[in-house]
Amino acid sequence: MQFIGATVETELAAKIVGALKEAGISFVSYLPETRLSQIMPLLREDPSFMLVPVANEAEGVSIAAGASLGGRPAAVYMEGSGVYISSYNLLVLGKRLGVPMLLLVAYYGSILDKRNSFLYAFPGIHLIPILRSLDIQYEVFQSGESLEDKIKGAVKMMHAIKQPVALLFTGAFTA
Amino acid sequence: MNRYDCFEFLAPLIKDQLVIGSLSGQRVEWGHLCRHEGNLLVASMGAALGIGVGLALVLPHRKVIVLESDGSLLLSLYNLPTLGNLSLPNLAVFVFDNEVYSGTRISEPSATAGKTDLAGVARSCGVERAMTVREIESFKLEAKKALEENVLRFLVCKVNPTTRHRQIERPNEDLWEHKYRFVRYLERTEGKKIFLGRG
Repeated sequence: MQFIGATVETELAAKIVGALKEAGISFVSYLPETRLSQIMPLLREDPSFMLVPVANEAEGVSIAAGASLGGRPAAVYMEGSGVYISSYNLLVLGKRLGVPMLLLVAYYGSILDKRNSFLYAFPGIHLIPILRSLDIQYEVFQSGESLEDKIKGAVKMMHAIKQPVALLFTGAFTA
Repeated sequence: MNRYDCFEFLAPLIKDQLVIGSLSGQRVEWGHLCRHEGNLLVASMGAALGIGVGLALVLPHRKVIVLESDGSLLLSLYNLPTLGNLSLPNLAVFVFDNEVYSGTRISEPSATAGKTDLAGVARSCGVERAMTVREIESFKLEAKKALEENVLRFLVCKVNPTTRHRQIERPNEDLWEHKYRFVRYLERTEGKKIFLGRG
């Protein structure tokens, strides 16, 4: 896939969406945010994805759990703050019930977040400790290097352990 | 009206529908009265409706029934705008509203004991067929419609706080076992693999 005159963000967004499709993800619940928002038009253009906008990331996790249990490999796209908001649902549905889903998280407030500020730094600092406390496997992406392999591997992992796996996007994804 | 009596009416009507339940005494009572393999009683507050929406979206040919409570729905009111906007015709939502948090031995009133009208909230979120029933005969009439018609229905059932569920032996099936039973039932009836991953 080639984008003439496209920004880096669009190329990376296309890589993410292509890799999700290749890995078999076909359902995405989402609460839009800034950093990864270029994936939205690409997801919308591709009829292989069923998209559901939500009002709250906890709802996004619950709906994705239903989709996953109904046979559509599911992802939830959210900002880092969404991990805090949905942590109870991640625990009781993702971990305790054991439902596979992929979390696509804009890792705002990380050291490599190009838009970092006093608004984002504290939620960013605590994001990985929250995932660790929930024992959710995660991978941090700073660039598009090996992105397809990592997404494919993350989806294999979520199916293998039947639990959520988180992908955190920072660095080049936060321009 | 008692929730147990509502469930006694509803349980024999379950054939191949998927039934998603939340927490509290309703999980114990429904699990006791309906041993359907298509039950997914998630044992969590604030999650059943979202799961039901997800299932109804990806299985549009299956009827999905959600059993909620006032406490669980109040915890997750954010589901209602999505419910209204999607208006999934294969979804029926029952909210058993006893106006108390009765999981505790001393019941405390929920917001629906005051001014909150859950059917009104649902209507204002775009759920057109949202209504409240208070008598068992009205429940039977509306529940039958909800199961038979291909349109989103949201039925708030005002029930008495009871301790009926405390007379029933609690299920011994853990949640992973319960989930596998549900998923294997779906795999069998849908003719497709749901859980992926090579063994």
